Amino acid sequence: MSDLFNVRRRGTGTGLLLALLLAGCASDAELDTLEPQSPVADEIWGLALPVFIIAGVVLVLVCGAVLWLSLKNRVATYEGDDEFPAQTAHNNPLELGWTIGPAILMAIIAVATSVVHFSINSVDEENAMPLTVHGETVDWEPTVVVVGQQWWWEYRYYLDGQQITTEQLADQRNLPPADIVTSGQFAIPTGQEVELIITSRDVIHSHWIPALNGKRDAVPGRFAPWKIEAYDPGVYFGQCTEFCGLSHSRMRMQTIALDPPDFQAWIDEQMAPATFDAELQAYVDAYRAGEPAAVDDEASAELRGLDVFAAQCASCHLVNGFNDMVNGEPYDGADVVSGSAPDLTHLMGRTTFAGGILNLYNEDGTVNVDDLARWIRDPNGIKENFADGLADGELPRGMPDRNLTERQIDDVIAFLITLGPDADGWMIDATEVE
Amino acid sequence: MAVTDEPLALTTGEDLVVDRPLGVFTRPQGGKGWRDWLSTVDHKKIGIMYGVAAMFFFVVGGIEALLIRLQLAAPDGQILSADVYNQVFTMHGVTMVFLFIMPLAAAFANYLIPLQIGARDVAFPRLNALSFWVWLSGAIFLNTSWIVGGGGADCGWFCYSPNSGLAFSPSHGVDFYALGLQIAGIASLVSAINLIVTCLNMRAPGMSLFRMPVLTWMLLVTQFLLLFAIPVITVALFLLMFDRLFDAQFFNPEAGADPLLWQHLFWIFGHPEVYIIILPAFGVVSEIIPTFSRKPIFGYSFMVFSGIAIGFMGWGVWAHHMFVSGIGPLSVWAFSMSTMFIAVPTGVKILNWLATMWGGKLRFTTAMLFAVGTVAMFTIGGLSGVTHALAPADTQQTDTYYIVAHFHYVIFGGGVLGLMGGLYFWWPKVFGFMLNETWGKVHFWTMLIGFNLTFGPMHVLGLQGMSRRIDTYSPGFGFAFWNLIATIGAFIIALSVVVFFLNVWKSRRDAPHLPAPGPDPWDARSLEWMIQSPAPEHNFDEVPIVESDDEWWHRKYGYDENKNVVRIATIEEATQKGDAVGVHLPAPSFWPLVVALGLPIIGYGLIFNLWLCVLGGALVGLGIYSWALEPVDDPDADHDHGHDDHDDDDDDDDGEGAEAEMADATAGAEEGAD
Repeated sequence: MSDLFNVRRRGTGTGLLLALLLAGCASDAELDTLEPQSPVADEIWGLALPVFIIAGVVLVLVCGAVLWLSLKNRVATYEGDDEFPAQTAHNNPLELGWTIGPAILMAIIAVATSVVHFSINSVDEENAMPLTVHGETVDWEPTVVVVGQQWWWEYRYYLDGQQITTEQLADQRNLPPADIVTSGQFAIPTGQEVELIITSRDVIHSHWIPALNGKRDAVPGRFAPWKIEAYDPGVYFGQCTEFCGLSHSRMRMQTIALDPPDFQAWIDEQMAPATFDAELQAYVDAYRAGEPAAVDDEASAELRGLDVFAAQCASCHLVNGFNDMVNGEPYDGADVVSGSAPDLTHLMGRTTFAGGILNLYNEDGTVNVDDLARWIRDPNGIKENFADGLADGELPRGMPDRNLTERQIDDVIAFLITLGPDADGWMIDATEVE
Repeated sequence: MAVTDEPLALTTGEDLVVDRPLGVFTRPQGGKGWRDWLSTVDHKKIGIMYGVAAMFFFVVGGIEALLIRLQLAAPDGQILSADVYNQVFTMHGVTMVFLFIMPLAAAFANYLIPLQIGARDVAFPRLNALSFWVWLSGAIFLNTSWIVGGGGADCGWFCYSPNSGLAFSPSHGVDFYALGLQIAGIASLVSAINLIVTCLNMRAPGMSLFRMPVLTWMLLVTQFLLLFAIPVITVALFLLMFDRLFDAQFFNPEAGADPLLWQHLFWIFGHPEVYIIILPAFGVVSEIIPTFSRKPIFGYSFMVFSGIAIGFMGWGVWAHHMFVSGIGPLSVWAFSMSTMFIAVPTGVKILNWLATMWGGKLRFTTAMLFAVGTVAMFTIGGLSGVTHALAPADTQQTDTYYIVAHFHYVIFGGGVLGLMGGLYFWWPKVFGFMLNETWGKVHFWTMLIGFNLTFGPMHVLGLQGMSRRIDTYSPGFGFAFWNLIATIGAFIIALSVVVFFLNVWKSRRDAPHLPAPGPDPWDARSLEWMIQSPAPEHNFDEVPIVESDDEWWHRKYGYDENKNVVRIATIEEATQKGDAVGVHLPAPSFWPLVVALGLPIIGYGLIFNLWLCVLGGALVGLGIYSWALEPVDDPDADHDHGHDDHDDDDDDDDGEGAEAEMADATAGAEEGAD
């Protein structure tokens, strides 16, 4: 996966021995559950570790007893052996003892479990952080709406200072317009509990960033409250963990934790609509007026790419400032089963694409044009979204193959590169460990 | 009383005038070869057929497992496409659960329950045949989706909605899943009722419930679990079928359905299912360990009651499969608590097995190795289970390979190893020859090593964050090494299974040159060892009168004044000779098979062309009506029928009127039942 970011690890002294024991060669395991990086994950591990140890002790005792009895009491044959061992058939005090004893042990574990369980499921109602939105300071109750669909995650930020309610989210195919919509990666401020409202547009998915918290299912029609927090800036990996069909294994995501000032900068960047140079802007203005301009071969690659995008991509992918409002009509969803496709307004502000499985940048910081072209050329070959061809009228479950020519693919990539800030700038510095 | 001095049954040899007024409705004669197997209602033959078919599907599910492991052996596996991988892991789960381990347990239940309680057959012999044939037709139907359904089901064995809906799973695989499991469910239900009635009504005189061997007890609890669990999944499958075939909207969130409905229905079945799988193996282990410790089972009543407790508590833990589904913190907490405490009765069993071995004289036959291996391996699975009974910890562990490791230690380490031990233990009773012990031990050790190499590393993979049900993983997550080890382990398991089949072949070939095992080769404890090997068709020459638990052992051994065990009878003296003739046995019938043939045709009809349902329905109707109309016996036996062969009991020297009455009741039940 992405080597762009050097994920920061906090040492967990207590867990170290067991982690070594259990994880063996897991030093580079980015999804490791044994190296918590947040208060909630710490709490979970603080409960799990002692129970692992207790279970380990019981295991050694029982298997040791099996082995010891087997070696000590073994005989080769019963032939010619008339001596029977004592025919002890029961011992009620002993048996009551080993019924009640484990029950008491379990009761102790149960109390500890209850404490942690209700703690990690509680939400800090007073939680708020000041944010500057459109030049005004608002008290943001840190909340991100997480929407799963086959096979990528959408993250929606509502920043007007009003807590978003689940009633407002009742129609997952038609969610209220958000201030920020991103996919595959989402940013949170460090040291700040962020509430997640997790739902789905199609089947059940599960959102899991192991270093920051356990997982929570995204169930269509339901809203799972969950929370997430990171001690330190960094990129934290995740993977969809509820089997969600064909390309379940190709549905990944990352949490980007930023120090609050960096987070504010990220917010500012994401809030802005896409900006275009004069050549593109003229095309955009005509398009928004419902009178798309013709583009000839002599135009720049970016403009030709925008033209291809308008014809082939814009009915699904949203770019704010371009197709969010055309001819007075707002953009209205994608022709795929989930009814949604990733918002590309700030594409280049992310570091992965295609549902978190491909790197948007090469190691040297240049745009990963090869994988972008591969993806546009044959999306089903990279992430299957149908198995046996599509029946008449059957909607694809992911990006369809638009049959673009190689030149069109190059052009559209040239256009895509203009979208949003260059992530190879400040964000990497902000998440990097000194 | 010990030895039968005369056969209780009628002598034959008289010439009978065979009158067959009803033509097609006369009962078949049994006869030889395939006709005998197709029409048999003998619980032993049905048990054998269950076992053979189960081992066949073990191979099928095993091949699917090897494909999974090949795909995951290295990062970015390319052997299977995502689509085929999803079908293969789904069918691996479905096959191993419904088509391997459940029928293998059913093989033990069918073969051994009547023998262990001193009965001549199950309560409803034709229904018993129906169970087997319906299960087999469902199993074959399910697997034909590979050929005619556009592939296997691709929704996981748990088949969560709405991913199981038409929009997300357009091939026919899920239809075959929904219909095939409904058909197999009929078999389980019928069989559950049959065996419950058998346990409750057909026990030999003196065989009180608390003298039943622990195996029979565990199987009885299993049947009650099936009786209540199968209807729940049937409801779920029925709704799913309507969603997919007739545009119903039970699970469609677009139409306002709640996808968690399916999860609740599935796991209310699915968790008791775990105990349905594991309790028979617990029973088998509880028979093998005492025999090869030369001691009675330690804490019989604790063993029985802990089994019953597991049976009850198993109904109160289902939502621990849904800790991260968003069912609410209070529900999660309640199920987390109940799940922790189900560990208690399970722990009791393990400690009682250890106490049985304590001070015993342990003879490590292959069966004993498997039984002791089961205790150790199940303990690992049980303990990892405790770690995710903790709901907070489970949020990290669920749907990762840690869970895959856990349930394979439970189901394979507990269930499969236990039942494998049972195969070695009862093989001489069933087939009349022993399995080779040397090969058996090779089988055990390769299987144990392969098993631990396969599933042990999965604990690590899960904690490293490897999700379940992913068809591939990228390098860089640290998954590669342990996945490779697991794949190597899987092939060692496959090797061990080959060793087992070779052992069967070799042992059978060598059997004529070896001394016959005799009725009781292990110096065992329960009634099935009182009769000849292989068990005669009529089981018991004379229904034994039971005076204690471990009845057979007490017929061989007594105590002297110092409480030392002394032999009071040789095996030769104490066994029944198997020479009774003319024992009234239920007559064979082809109609169960006919009914069973109709069901998959209805299934194909629902999927492809509703007219086929008419044909299938006609077959089922024909089968049921002919079943009802055929006489209770073949004409040859009709002559004997009116004669109550158990009247002689009154003349028995023990003179226990009450017990004789019970014998009559038993005989009456046998006859009336069919």
